[in-house]
Amino acid sequence: MLQKPKSRGRAGSQPERERDGGRGGGGAEEAPSTSRGAGGAGWQGSRRAEASPKAGPRSQKQLELKVAELVQFLLIKDQKKIPIKRADILKHVVGDYKDIFPDLLKLAAQRLEYVFGYRLVELEPKSNTYILINTLEPVEEDAEVRGDQGTPTTGLLMIVLGLIFMKGNSIKETEVWDFLRRLGVHPTKKHLIFGDPKKLITEDFVRQRYLEYRRIPHTDPVDYEFQWGPRTNLETSKMKVLKFVAKVHNQDPKDWPAQYCEALAEEEARARPQTGGPAPSS
Amino acid sequence: MADEKGSLRGDVEEGEEPVVAVTGSAYPGKQAEEEEEEEPMKVEVAVGADACSDDLSCGEADIDPSLLELADEEKCRSIRKQYRQLIYNVQQNRDDIVNTASDSLTEALEEANVLFDAVSRTREAALDAQFLVLASDLGKEKAKQLNSDMSFFNQVAFCDFLFIFVGLNWMEGDGRELSDYDDNVALSFWETVQKEATSWMLQAEKFHFIFGSFKSEPSARKPRLEHRKKVHKMEENGDMPTKLRKLDLNSNQEATEKEVERILGLLQTYFRKYPDTPVSYFEFVIDPNSFSRTVENIFYVSFIIRDGFARIRLDQDRLPILEPININQVGEGNDPSSHCRKQGVISLSLQDWKNIVATFEISEAMITNSY
Repeated sequence: MLQKPKSRGRAGSQPERERDGGRGGGGAEEAPSTSRGAGGAGWQGSRRAEASPKAGPRSQKQLELKVAELVQFLLIKDQKKIPIKRADILKHVVGDYKDIFPDLLKLAAQRLEYVFGYRLVELEPKSNTYILINTLEPVEEDAEVRGDQGTPTTGLLMIVLGLIFMKGNSIKETEVWDFLRRLGVHPTKKHLIFGDPKKLITEDFVRQRYLEYRRIPHTDPVDYEFQWGPRTNLETSKMKVLKFVAKVHNQDPKDWPAQYCEALAEEEARARPQTGGPAPSS
Repeated sequence: MADEKGSLRGDVEEGEEPVVAVTGSAYPGKQAEEEEEEEPMKVEVAVGADACSDDLSCGEADIDPSLLELADEEKCRSIRKQYRQLIYNVQQNRDDIVNTASDSLTEALEEANVLFDAVSRTREAALDAQFLVLASDLGKEKAKQLNSDMSFFNQVAFCDFLFIFVGLNWMEGDGRELSDYDDNVALSFWETVQKEATSWMLQAEKFHFIFGSFKSEPSARKPRLEHRKKVHKMEENGDMPTKLRKLDLNSNQEATEKEVERILGLLQTYFRKYPDTPVSYFEFVIDPNSFSRTVENIFYVSFIIRDGFARIRLDQDRLPILEPININQVGEGNDPSSHCRKQGVISLSLQDWKNIVATFEISEAMITNSY
């Protein structure tokens, strides 16, 4: 079950087997409310009888089922890449198991890491929203295997992130459009691939927490600025973005000394032992 | 008293003068020690938002009594006007101020400083605070400008390099945009960039079940559709016969009428030959050689009866007979019959037909064929 995180391609064959094992006896593909209906008879009875259910002894099987549901829930919620709220988790999956919620979350996070290679991370400390990030480094050959993952927005995102970083961690919206115009992406014109680019950049990316979109005060006409969002800091780093930019230029990252120093400083800060970790125990 | 002690002990907050009414006897010794350095206040009125706010020491013992007088309304109004003017100017000349080369921000700050010396009321101080917020925002902008001057990142070059990276080589200085090219070029551009970008991000793959989520209805529908398609195909293959049938039907319509007329003619000929002699229904319609023709004959005769050219009724042996209806009789006889139109259903099976042929000893058909 445990394997050292290698390339993504290898890990792909594992999840199918593991998933079946992890589900236990529960209904595999059904809606995630099976355990509420299929709970142990005694447990159900006590739930209906009392107004506030006590944490009766829950069987190992019930726990397994709950954790499996939580894992499914997190995976599916992550499809849209919008951070998952703790309230949603409690409402849809955990329900009466609220008292052991931290344990459930920890178990689910473990399973996600061992089986899928995904890490469940809190977006910002005390924000009570979670995202999934990949623990495995991407590999060139995977691109062919990956197939159709929807519209290729990551390219556009990376370009915008590069712009933001290289211009000092903040860039005006007007500058972004000036740049993208030359790539055939206009805020008002429908794009062949991206549809509505303005909505994509100013709303979708912001909702997914890749970007921050703030109004610049005292401007007339109103202008906004972009910065990196919290998800970007988790999924990539300044050094990586700098290397992307450098690769495009076919140059060395050190050719931009200011940015290089900044990226280096961030790398060192990350290398220091972290205070936060994966799924929090709060 | 207790409150006053509290405010003394709390020391001087910025800009606030503590309220004190000193009565010698009430002071505990401890407190006297604490505030030894502070000179006991003799002022009884608290003045808010004192001018020299950056001077935190409580040493402003001698408050200028002129501040306590009602400040000149005119003066205050003019101060407020000047502040608003300053704020407006700064907002208008934003670009100039943010420009790193210019000193206009510093000048504006100095101007505000001068104005502030005359401020004694909260209203003007609020305007001053507003200006300070504006100035600091602009200062931040200016600082950002400084940063970008240092890091010399050329966006336009980045754009060109992107094209080269993807493999679109064209002349420099051509000023071309991606939209000048057709869609396939744009698609491949973004796909290449996507491929490179994803290798620098730790994105979790979007999760999908291989066979989709739990709804299985779509697959159930497919066999039904296929079945329909097959049936449809068969019908299409049968184009030729359908067409022929249509032709037959068309000709059949006229054929029916013709047949009816023909048979009517035969019937009337018989009636003329043998007047006042009804003919046995069965003898008339039955064709001993063909059952299908018999049925056709029955069909045609029913039209004759319906149109009123003949009448069918049961004779004394309770066998059906056909009687002629004269045109004269049509007027008289039909009145009672028109009130009560009768319907009769005749069913004839193959066995019945054989039996009738045998019983009535019909050797040849009365209704001869036209062909």
